[in-house]
Parts: sequence; C-alpha cells; structure tokens
Amino acid sequence: MISAVNVSRWYGQVIGVNDINCEIGPGITALLGMNGAGKTTLIRLITGQLRPTTGDLRVFGQEPFANPEVYRKMGYCPEIDNFYEHYNGFEFVNYLARLEGMNAQRAKARTAEVIEMVGMTERAGRKIAGYSKGMRQRIKLAQAMLHDPEIILLDEPLNGLDPVGRREFMDLLGALANSGKAIIVSSHILFEVEQMTRSLLLLHRGRLLATGDLGVIRELIDKHPHQIRIETDTPREAAAMLANLPNIVSMRFERSGDSIRLEVREPNAFYDAVMAAVLEQGLQIRGISSPDNNLESVFKYLVEA
Amino acid sequence: MESAIFTHALRENLRIKRVLPWLVLGATLVFGFALKWSVFQNDADKGQQYASVSSIFVFHLLALISAILTSTIVNQEIENKTIVYLLTRPVPRWKLLVFRYLACSLVVALLSIVNTLFATAGVYGGLSGNPMLLKDIAALTIGAFAYGAFFMLIGLMVNRSMIVCLLFTFGWESAVPNMPGQMSYLSINSYLQAIAEHPSQGSNKGMGLLTSTLGDNTLSASTGYIAMFIFVATLVVISSLWFTHFEYLPREDAE
Repeated sequence: MISAVNVSRWYGQVIGVNDINCEIGPGITALLGMNGAGKTTLIRLITGQLRPTTGDLRVFGQEPFANPEVYRKMGYCPEIDNFYEHYNGFEFVNYLARLEGMNAQRAKARTAEVIEMVGMTERAGRKIAGYSKGMRQRIKLAQAMLHDPEIILLDEPLNGLDPVGRREFMDLLGALANSGKAIIVSSHILFEVEQMTRSLLLLHRGRLLATGDLGVIRELIDKHPHQIRIETDTPREAAAMLANLPNIVSMRFERSGDSIRLEVREPNAFYDAVMAAVLEQGLQIRGISSPDNNLESVFKYLVEA
Repeated sequence: MESAIFTHALRENLRIKRVLPWLVLGATLVFGFALKWSVFQNDADKGQQYASVSSIFVFHLLALISAILTSTIVNQEIENKTIVYLLTRPVPRWKLLVFRYLACSLVVALLSIVNTLFATAGVYGGLSGNPMLLKDIAALTIGAFAYGAFFMLIGLMVNRSMIVCLLFTFGWESAVPNMPGQMSYLSINSYLQAIAEHPSQGSNKGMGLLTSTLGDNTLSASTGYIAMFIFVATLVVISSLWFTHFEYLPREDAE
C-alpha cells in the first residue's frame, strides 16, 4: 500500500527524515520514535502534505502530494488539537464528510455512524470548544474514518485519552486492522505500542533504525544487560539472596539505601527467578522496575548494536 | 462538495464577530460623514457630495475590508492549524481556494454595498434618488473580487501577508491613482472609479486628492470592466496554480 525508497526530507538545513526505505501493508504498523525523530514528517510525506526532497514515496502506486485519488482511500487523524471551535462535533465531521464528496443526506447518515463508532453520539451536539482532550481525539478519529478508507494514519492518537478510552481506541483500531485496513500509528511510548501491534518502524533522528517485528527488537535489546531496580526494606539480606540468582552481571546499592540496582542478562528468566525467591526463600521486596523499559534505552541499545 | 466549501466559507465570514465591526464602522464613518458632508463641500450638489463620500470612504473601506478578510483565505486555516483537515481530502486544491475566494469576496461585496447604502441614506436622506447607486454597486462588487484576487495571491505568497496588504491599501491605492501620466493604470481603484463614473471634482484639488481622482485617469467604464475581468481571471489562475504546487502546513510547523 505504501512504499518509500530512499526518501529524505530537509527543512532548509535541518533534516526531517533521512533515506527512509520501507513498505507498509495491511494491519497495524507502529511508527515509533522520540519527539523530533521524524514521525510527523514521515506521516506528512505519506499524507501528501509534504513532498520528499529526494527519493520516491508512493501510496497505492501514486505520488500522494495534493493527490485527490490517494485521499479517497486515506484517512488522517493529525496530532494537532485544533478544530473549528464554534462548530459542534457533528457539524465538524459533517462538513468534512461533504468534502469527501458525499451528498448532504449521505454525509449526515455517515457522520452519525462514525460518531457512534467513536462513542460520541450523546456529546456530538456540544460545541467543540467545550470538549475534553479525549473527546477531541475521538472526533478526530471519527473524521478519519468517514469514507471507510483503506489506510488510516494516526499521529499520536492516544495522547490525552484515559485508560478506558485507550482500551476502547485500541480495540477499535484492532477491529479496523482485522478488516484488512492498514493502520499506521505514531507514538513515542514503547509500552503503548506493544499493546497495539508487533509490527513497527523505529525512527531515530530522522533515520529508520529498525523495521519489522517488535519481538526481534526486543530480542536485540535483551542481548544487552538490562538494568533492574529492586526496592526493599532489607537491602543487605535481599542482596545476599539475589546474588545467588542466575544472569546477574553486576549489583550495587543505591544511595537512598532502600534499593538495589542490578544489571542482568535475559531479564525474563531473571524475573521468574525473583518471583520464585519471593515465594520460596522469603525474599522481601517492595517494588521492581526497569529503567531500561523506555525508548531512550531501546535507541541506545540499537545504536550500540 | 463545492457547495460545502462555499457554504462553510460563507458561514465563517458572516460570523457576527467578523461582520459587526465593519457594520459599526460603516454606520459611524460612512453614514456619519455622509450626513454632514455639506459642511466640507457646501457648494456641491447632492450627487457631488455622494460621489465624494463614496470615493473617500466606501471605496477605500472596500480595499481595507478585502485586505483584512481575503488575505486570510488560506492563512487563517494555517494559523488555526485546521489546514490539515482540508488538504488531506479528495478535493482538488484549486477548488478549495476558488470557492473560498468566491464566498469571501461575496461577503466583502455585501459589506461594501451596505456602506454605499449608508452613504446614500446620509446624503439623500433615504435609499431612493441616488442615480449613481447601481453603478457603484457594480463597481464595488467587481472591486471586491478584484481586490480579493490580489490579496488572496499575496496571502498565498507571503507569510505575514496582512502588512503587505495594508500597505497596498493605504499606500499604493491612495497614492498611485493621483500620480501623473499613466501611473493610475496600475491601481485597481482607478478602474473602479472608471466603472462607477463619479462626476469629476473639477478644480477642487484637495477633494481630488482625497477621492484618488487627481491623476490623468481617462479610462472608460467598458475598459474598466474588461481590465478587471482579465485581472481577476489571471490572478485566480495564478493563485490556484500556486496553491496546488506549494506546501502549506500549520503555522508553527511551517516556521
């Protein structure tokens, strides 16, 4: 559906994306990267708001820039939080339905359908100016689904949604992906992406750092020692027990005195061993966390790899 | 689709917040001066008085209203960042632009026609008896579309276009028609004055300066119509090509 060959985009002397090569097909694909990685630039290139400085980007085999043929099959939920604030949700979506080429009657019916899909029926009559962030996200998604597009691009769609809203949103995206659509979701939160898909494009400083299955990237990450922080009221006793567990590379007490920082290989095996130690040997811990489980660490590992 | 673009733009431009200031300005400035214009031109007949008020206030306000409203046809969407919703729809960009332009120019024309009615009411004490009214309405309508086409193009080409448009309105359009030789042909106002066919200010150079009729404007009404038609058509085509070719992003991203 989407193919990019050596696509670069520069803003004067600043690089947006650099030498991107990828193919995107049906299903959910996550576009993962920290702020400023080039996610929005890539989405804007795909949605034809920008032209590549060099390279060739095609959507359904066509150049997307200002191309109505492409837009007939593409829905876009932008990151921006701006609307015609004096419109109500229904009017806003209905106006965009008319721009899709629907007649007035069809536009109204379809608007009602998509508004119901995003759970906004009861609030669609209120002015957008009074909407919460979550309601705005839902209205943005509704307008992206209006014409039942084959590709839907969502730029940071989970921002501002509460946990229930996130779950509903993810379920909806899953259902759309299962119906054969290509869903591209950008995010800077690894955890968020893992809940939605295994397929991802990892962007870092404008470059495509990795593509493919999230599991492969996870494995690559797991080859490196993982940092794990264990909080406990009895650090010395806990350290003595932990020292006997497998896969530990290093261990040190933190200055606060109530936690231990470990470096371990194969973190999953280590977590299992910790659980067993808690149950069988009476290891006392208050909390366990992994400072590595964030994007910065992922990028660090991948760049080093 | 086209009607939706047009209706939406019309609705945006007819919002009370946008229209009311112009109506208040017209009511106080145009009607106020028209009512008491005999103080400034006590030897002139009502036709002359109306022509002066119309040329000084109504036609200059036309350019000002157009500069404020039309230069934002695209820029407002860029500032509000709503441009992304429009440019990712299966609508040719030229259609988006042209139908928004038509709606915006129509509103400018309507506001200017209201102003000319204020001028008529002030000078003639009612809406009847003004032999220049129809020609003025024609000139103002054509002027709304001509200024609109020009300011739309400036808005597309220049980032902060309002300053350029206001300079054009207060500088160029006030000064150039009063210049000697054929310089006045470079002003939209000269063509509009030719279409309106206001009576000459005669030897009153001060009034000629204010009404922007001091130059050697020998244009006929038919020349005015033809020139404005060509001008509008050319600028709308250039604007459409420009808007189709170049990238337009929400403001903070464009910088």
